[in-house]
Amino acid sequence: MNTKKERIHIIVAGLIIGVISALLVFFGNPANMGFCIACFLRDTAGALGLHKAAPVQYIRPEIIGLVLGSFVMALARREFAPKGGSAPLTRFVLGFFVMIGCLMFLGCPFRMILRLAGGDLNALVGLVGFVLGILVGVFFLKKGYSLKRTYAMPKLEGFLFPAIQVVVFVLLVVAPAFIYFSEAGAGPGAKHAAIAISLVAGLIVGALAQRTRLCMVGGIRDAVLFRESKLLLGFVAIFLSALISNLILNVATDATYFKLGFEGQAVAHTDWLWNGLGMLLVGFGCVLLGGCPLRQLVLSGEGNSDSAVTVLGLVVGAAFAHNFGLASSADGPTSAGKIAVLIGIAVVALIGCLNTFKKKA
Amino acid sequence: MIYFATFFSHFGAMRYKILCQQQQIVCRTMPVPRGLSSSCGTCVRCEERWLPVQGSDAEDLEQVAAWDGKTFTVVYHT
Repeated sequence: MNTKKERIHIIVAGLIIGVISALLVFFGNPANMGFCIACFLRDTAGALGLHKAAPVQYIRPEIIGLVLGSFVMALARREFAPKGGSAPLTRFVLGFFVMIGCLMFLGCPFRMILRLAGGDLNALVGLVGFVLGILVGVFFLKKGYSLKRTYAMPKLEGFLFPAIQVVVFVLLVVAPAFIYFSEAGAGPGAKHAAIAISLVAGLIVGALAQRTRLCMVGGIRDAVLFRESKLLLGFVAIFLSALISNLILNVATDATYFKLGFEGQAVAHTDWLWNGLGMLLVGFGCVLLGGCPLRQLVLSGEGNSDSAVTVLGLVVGAAFAHNFGLASSADGPTSAGKIAVLIGIAVVALIGCLNTFKKKA
Repeated sequence: MIYFATFFSHFGAMRYKILCQQQQIVCRTMPVPRGLSSSCGTCVRCEERWLPVQGSDAEDLEQVAAWDGKTFTVVYHT
């Protein structure tokens, strides 16, 4: 139990992930979107025909890589352990509303850091909401919130989600007619790095995240609950390395990788209230889930079927958000989206209350 | 010797900590050490001794490992 070594590992992993995130934008991903679990799951949902928003349809190899990278690392280190059975439907609903919050803000906690590293100050408002949401979640944890224990599952249960990723990857490469891809210039879905680059980036980040247990929510949660800053260091390291990489790319290339301000940011809007409330919903929901969307993907790769169900909730949430006009755009949030976020906060609070009971003993 | 008890839920750790404190076992909750598990949940660190539990109190207890300063040795597993 070498705490110093663990800290060094997570800082190094964060620095590598930050650089990879910036490079993915250099290689073709949308600005400030080297990684965005919410956006990429949304794009993948669109590619599979679960929603019809033409600008955001593409099977993102980064997602596939994240799950498979975690899977391989877990297998190699004998940490692959199929388990589940901890309130799967509740987790599905939480995942659904976390996605509603993400698509109000236009990004998951991972992209929030990358937006900050790209100079997007709207993400600062999102961060405030995110921290508030985590604090609300921690309040429930302290009061005894629990979705009950997990149970060991058959091996097949753990292998299924990584196997699904392989099938989705085949669909990406073969590109049959029933898979939808955004046309060039249509929107964020049309902007992507080459498949091999995205896949390798996902594999590396997935493996590193499994090894270090990197979690955007866990960092702040542990700092509040235990005064433990280890996971938070990974969060900070990603921000710093992505920021420095963006500044270097700004100077070395003609494109803009860093632009400080609120206005005119890529795939972002300036409505501070709904940026904040969207991320409040994300922070709150993720604490009740036990991890951010990135962590859910990594745990899915380790064989956790509860996390796999959560990811399915995220995917269905993304499909709903685009089929029913709940997702924001650069023009701002929609009325339906605002109502959905308020409903989401109410539902997550209700789930928190119903699963919190007085400590026995 | 230091003992680390890991749980299937955060609530289980909180409940175990209270039980330990009732038995005058010096303990505290903290994140699970990476060397012990890939889980990012909550564990209870007990100084000198740990508390065996049974029945509903044992439901959430996953394992207890002893730390000798170099390696973990599992002393209890569900």
